[in-house]
Amino acid sequence: MIGRALFGRHPHTAQARRSAWLDGLRVVAPALIALAAWGLVTGVAMVKSGLTQWQALGMSMLMFAGSAQLAALPLIAADAPVWVVLLTAAVVNLRFVIFSAGLYPYFRDLPLGKRMALGYFTGDVSFALAVSRWSTQSPPQQGSSERTWFYAGICCGTWTVWQISSAAGIFLGGGIPGTWGLDFVAILALVALVLPMIAGPPAIAGALVASVVAVLAAATPLKLGLVIAVIAGISAAVAADILLERLRRQ
Amino acid sequence: MSSTEIWLSIVAMTIITLATRTVMLVFGDRIPLPERVQHALRFAPVCALTALIAPELLTEQGAWAISLANAKLVGGAIAVAVMLATRSMMATMGIGMAAYLALRHFG
Repeated sequence: MIGRALFGRHPHTAQARRSAWLDGLRVVAPALIALAAWGLVTGVAMVKSGLTQWQALGMSMLMFAGSAQLAALPLIAADAPVWVVLLTAAVVNLRFVIFSAGLYPYFRDLPLGKRMALGYFTGDVSFALAVSRWSTQSPPQQGSSERTWFYAGICCGTWTVWQISSAAGIFLGGGIPGTWGLDFVAILALVALVLPMIAGPPAIAGALVASVVAVLAAATPLKLGLVIAVIAGISAAVAADILLERLRRQ
Repeated sequence: MSSTEIWLSIVAMTIITLATRTVMLVFGDRIPLPERVQHALRFAPVCALTALIAPELLTEQGAWAISLANAKLVGGAIAVAVMLATRSMMATMGIGMAAYLALRHFG
């Protein structure tokens, strides 16, 4: 019953959609540990910075954006003007503009509502997993329905785990000591996630430059350093790519 | 902030977040991206993730901290080695975390 409501009536398309959706869930599964650790940390941080449990839950359910939430919290706690809080959230989320541009070629044929829905669920992990997989495949003309359902599977995993772990952090908050180093678990999970993606000289160049620039620009206000680092990294990767291409032709 | 102000901020931040996540998905037809830019965006995942990780491992209190006394760097380096050797996410996180905690408590 639920399956029919979710994947459609026609057995053949429903089968294809379901297997693409499950494939997405399978791909995202290992990364969910990182998200769970992060969600827990964010949940605890929200109640510890003075939000009520309901405000914290609302923030997590509506925004679904860990780094923007974490950036806004100290400002809310310090009674900063509302426009400063909003500006901070906007700047911290600037990398999502790059992500939405990256996703566009794969979802361009979908109706507006679906494009917006898929955009809403996009985060660092879902974007990275999906695009790093698709960019090694042929151009996105065919199988766009499969791509959509694959992405939906990834996003189901990330959203659900994020909300459950955030809620756990919110309601158990006080009982979790800060010395557990949960935030480091999330970083290690990201390390495991990104390493297989760093394949080939252009990706290596991009990773190196993004790392160095991110550290150098870490003191930039509003986490702008992150955006600068991403742009610098992409530029370096493209430069390396062009250079390799020229060398190969000679 | 009053409760109303906090709720207003949360709703406004939700709208802002949604706008950044959907802007190019919605206006992609009207803001055509050159082929070269679309091609370049395939490197975005690697760059975004490494840019998130690097400051966590390589700095302490906002300054470069490349030394064996930096428990996060040592734990991270060990995690990289474990991942390259085993391709196992659980082993990577387990061993990296154990190294980090050991160094922090006994280092």
